[in-house]
Amino acid sequence: MEGQDEFQPAVLPQEAPRVMRTPRGLDIALTARCNLRCSYCYFFDNEVVQYEDLPTEEWLRFFEECGRLGVMDLTLAGGEPFLREDLHELIQGIVENRMRFSLLSNGSQITAETASFLAATGRCSHVQVSVDGGDAEAHDAARGEGSFERAVEGIRTLQRADVNVAVRVTIHKHNVHRLEETTRFLLEDLGLPGFSTNSAGYLGSCQQHSSGLLLTVEERSEAMEALVRLERAYPNRISATAGPLAEARMWREMVDARAAGAPPIPGRGCLSGCGCHATKLAVRSDGRYIVCGLLQDDTLGRINEDALQDVWLESSTLATFRSRHRVPLRTFPECRTCEYVDYCTGNCPALALSLTGDAQRPSPDACLRRFLEQGGRIPETVVETAVRPDADRSRRTPS
Amino acid sequence: MVKDLVTNPNVVLRKEFDDWAVLFDPDTGDAVGTNPIGVTVWNALDECDTLEDLATVVRASFEDVPDTVQDDIEAFVADLLAKGLVGKVVEERP
Repeated sequence: MEGQDEFQPAVLPQEAPRVMRTPRGLDIALTARCNLRCSYCYFFDNEVVQYEDLPTEEWLRFFEECGRLGVMDLTLAGGEPFLREDLHELIQGIVENRMRFSLLSNGSQITAETASFLAATGRCSHVQVSVDGGDAEAHDAARGEGSFERAVEGIRTLQRADVNVAVRVTIHKHNVHRLEETTRFLLEDLGLPGFSTNSAGYLGSCQQHSSGLLLTVEERSEAMEALVRLERAYPNRISATAGPLAEARMWREMVDARAAGAPPIPGRGCLSGCGCHATKLAVRSDGRYIVCGLLQDDTLGRINEDALQDVWLESSTLATFRSRHRVPLRTFPECRTCEYVDYCTGNCPALALSLTGDAQRPSPDACLRRFLEQGGRIPETVVETAVRPDADRSRRTPS
Repeated sequence: MVKDLVTNPNVVLRKEFDDWAVLFDPDTGDAVGTNPIGVTVWNALDECDTLEDLATVVRASFEDVPDTVQDDIEAFVADLLAKGLVGKVVEERP
């Protein structure tokens, strides 16, 4: 954890953000159980979290409330959501309450029967399976022996049932040098339309294994170069909202803007790096509302005890997050003299919390100036593509 | 035109800001934004027999309604029909 200066950041006197009546979607940790213990998992090893599951009835009751409020999408994660013995019943509850859903999984527990069930609902936007390499050596290094084979079998089972599969590759020390092989495997051997990338972050279990997992500046530079090269070879098939590819795009834009003496980029120069809290909320496996699945410490209430709409509209914690975009980065000592400050967003509040102890500061992990000072390189040209919605082509949201 | 139409029971009317709303079809994932007049039309559609009835509801709910409102409602309802957000009533065969 890095040091934190004692100061109170200023908040620009802008109009308070308008808040929609209810969240459009929720990220739900259906279970605290998982058959794997991935060394970089954000979910496990959070000291304050009670790792317990709710009974079926509690979730079904909550899904009724979500349906009444017009929630559109639920993302079901965990733990490993396919370990819920009542998964079919829970999904039936989601369908009956006129919502869509997607699942985040390690792929190991997906049976043909469950895959057929998901397809038959007509409401499954996608199942995202984590695959960290093109072979067992790269994948299993952080996820455990045998997990690659089972993940791939899970993907093939979903493909046979005609369920949309999205794959997420988390980049770390053990697979960063093998991104070409990984890409070929996913796009050519498995025939996926695309995949998304991020990188291991200093969250959850990763905090205990960070030295063996987190990318060095040199490895991060290498990952950016490889991904930009691959993106050119496979246009519009590799996406990222975080991690080296997203950083390559954003940092290239910032470097170019500064070199050109460009005016501030609209929406930047403040803590605007995360907007999830404008449309989404998360629920832990023990039923506690949280701002985001990566921010598990600060609970906002409990499902079926605190009304979702009340929490959504009245939580002071959410109000703080919704005001982040009014906090100028220049008020932070580490940003005050930075030549990139007008082009920066401060990035992820969860990483800011884990690295500095305060979510309402810029994340040091995302500091371009620091990265360059430490010898980091950014690819000269970056393919500018719209961020694809995780290889999920059926899902549309209102404009 | 309206008597034989019915709103898709799976479609969710989701109010977001003020009285603006999204009509969300969970079966397709499609979502269509609509203004407060569209919300009023949606809510009245199953109870009204004609476009004129719908126009009357709208006139009773809003001030300064333009003369073209019935044409606007017709276009809106046709769009809903094309998107599958409303459907035609089909009588069962004996």
